[in-house]
Amino acid sequence: MSLSAILSIRSISKSYGAIQALKGVSFDVPEGCVYGVLGPNGSGKTTLLGIILDVLQANGGSYQWFGGVANDASRKQIGSLLETPNFYHYLSAYDNLAVTAKIRGKGDTDRNAVLGQVGLLERKDSKFQTFSLGMKQRLAIGAALLGGPRVLVFDEPTNGLDPAGIAEIRELILKLNREGITIIIASHLLDEIEKVCTHVAILKRGTLLLNGPVNEVLVNEDQVEVMAQDMAGLKNALQAMPGIVKMTNRERFLMLTCDKGIETFHVNDYCIKKGIVLTHLAMKRKSLEAKFMELTN
Amino acid sequence: MLELLSVEWLKIRKYRTFWALCILFGVLLLMVNMLVSQGIMKMGNSDFNVLSRNYTFPEVWGNVAFWTKIFSGLLAIIIIILTTNEYQFRTNRQNVIDGWNRMQFYHAKWGLLVVLSAVVTVYTFLVGIFLAFYHGSSSNHMFEHLDSIFYIFLLSLNYFGFALMLSLVFRRSGMTIIMFLLYAYVIEQIANGLLNSRNPSKPGNFLPMQCSAELIHFPLTESISKMLGGGGPSHIYLAIASGVWIVIYYVVGRVMLLKTDW
Repeated sequence: MSLSAILSIRSISKSYGAIQALKGVSFDVPEGCVYGVLGPNGSGKTTLLGIILDVLQANGGSYQWFGGVANDASRKQIGSLLETPNFYHYLSAYDNLAVTAKIRGKGDTDRNAVLGQVGLLERKDSKFQTFSLGMKQRLAIGAALLGGPRVLVFDEPTNGLDPAGIAEIRELILKLNREGITIIIASHLLDEIEKVCTHVAILKRGTLLLNGPVNEVLVNEDQVEVMAQDMAGLKNALQAMPGIVKMTNRERFLMLTCDKGIETFHVNDYCIKKGIVLTHLAMKRKSLEAKFMELTN
Repeated sequence: MLELLSVEWLKIRKYRTFWALCILFGVLLLMVNMLVSQGIMKMGNSDFNVLSRNYTFPEVWGNVAFWTKIFSGLLAIIIIILTTNEYQFRTNRQNVIDGWNRMQFYHAKWGLLVVLSAVVTVYTFLVGIFLAFYHGSSSNHMFEHLDSIFYIFLLSLNYFGFALMLSLVFRRSGMTIIMFLLYAYVIEQIANGLLNSRNPSKPGNFLPMQCSAELIHFPLTESISKMLGGGGPSHIYLAIASGVWIVIYYVVGRVMLLKTDW
């Protein structure tokens, strides 16, 4: 996997009247990664994707695809699904893909293949307006795959899909990434992002809070779950343990946030020395959701 | 441009509303001309008919051009529907996301306008030829007064360009159609009346749609106005004005598309 940036975003700002949707956002997307853009509703995710796809105009800043390829030419190498699936309602799935393929200028011979990939081959001659939300979403993902793009940009790709559909799309994203396609994905479904992303950027009200590889962003944030017969005694004992940064009461156990280097056996050892027998001990990597809530609240 | 047009073709090829309106236009134009030429469709009391029944060359051109002018609004509605559909379905964004730039999207629409105007012109020409021969005209004066047919091209491009510009401003089909009709049948008529009643040089004739409409007169009134020595600006100025308005529509649409979010 090359680490050269496939997309560089520099100080992008955008306002809608008095509301500043993006405030000087900058980051690089390395080639070959799955890049998650996270943020609560209204944080500017879709606005940012709209700008890098040239449907929205930034008020300041710049972006560069593929190290400086002209924007129109670069978009032909990018498959995108922005906000909603946008197709001609009166055309069939197959005919809609012909329009997409023609604009991309890469031929339309793989239309059946992509329809098969997203499970719509049997409905290829049905009009778009007869599709359910999930099917529309699948068609949009199929359209993005036409012509073998180098990059996929997905905004909430699992919108409207049932749990099986969500799992299928997740598998598809991972498979495409293994084939070398860079994927940029905006979502508020943190579980989904966590399962697929190698990198994240977290936005809040237009400000970039943090960005980088998932294992760096979430480093030193491991947490330990502990439980004992005497929970009060356990709590008292652990309050004095060096290396414990924070202790949170959960329903049936204590959640410990520890310094780097503190492992489960350190906790166990300390408790035994204090005469406490643990009934539950588990290391939990801090979830993206926990990090996200911490940052955005 | 052919690449852009081939995409537009893929969009309209299986669009029933488009074909229904085109067929309606084609049938109406042929039928009305046929009925007028047979004297079945009349205007006036009992035996008096102000509609010209002269469908031989070269008078046929003025007649068919006039009826094309009357029905061309129907085709302007097609332009409005095709353009506002793009906003309603958000396919304008998708076209750009898929690799067009905004100007390619815009020029594809203008390409469609030019082709549709050319088709209307050729169809009017063919209806004229058909009716003239149907009424036993010889081909002697066939190519005289063909300027009416050229004016049809200019008029179509003017009306369609205006419809396109309004579609880009209002973005919704219902609203755009209402504004188009309101302008064409009310606002411009009132403005024209006000301007012309106070000024003998008839500046109202240079209003956006009026300048093209003035190029093609009601067949009988044209001969009457000639007898009276005519009035108002000459055709060359009206044709230039039409061209200027078409350029203005293009520039306004272009600036708007480049400046706004999609």
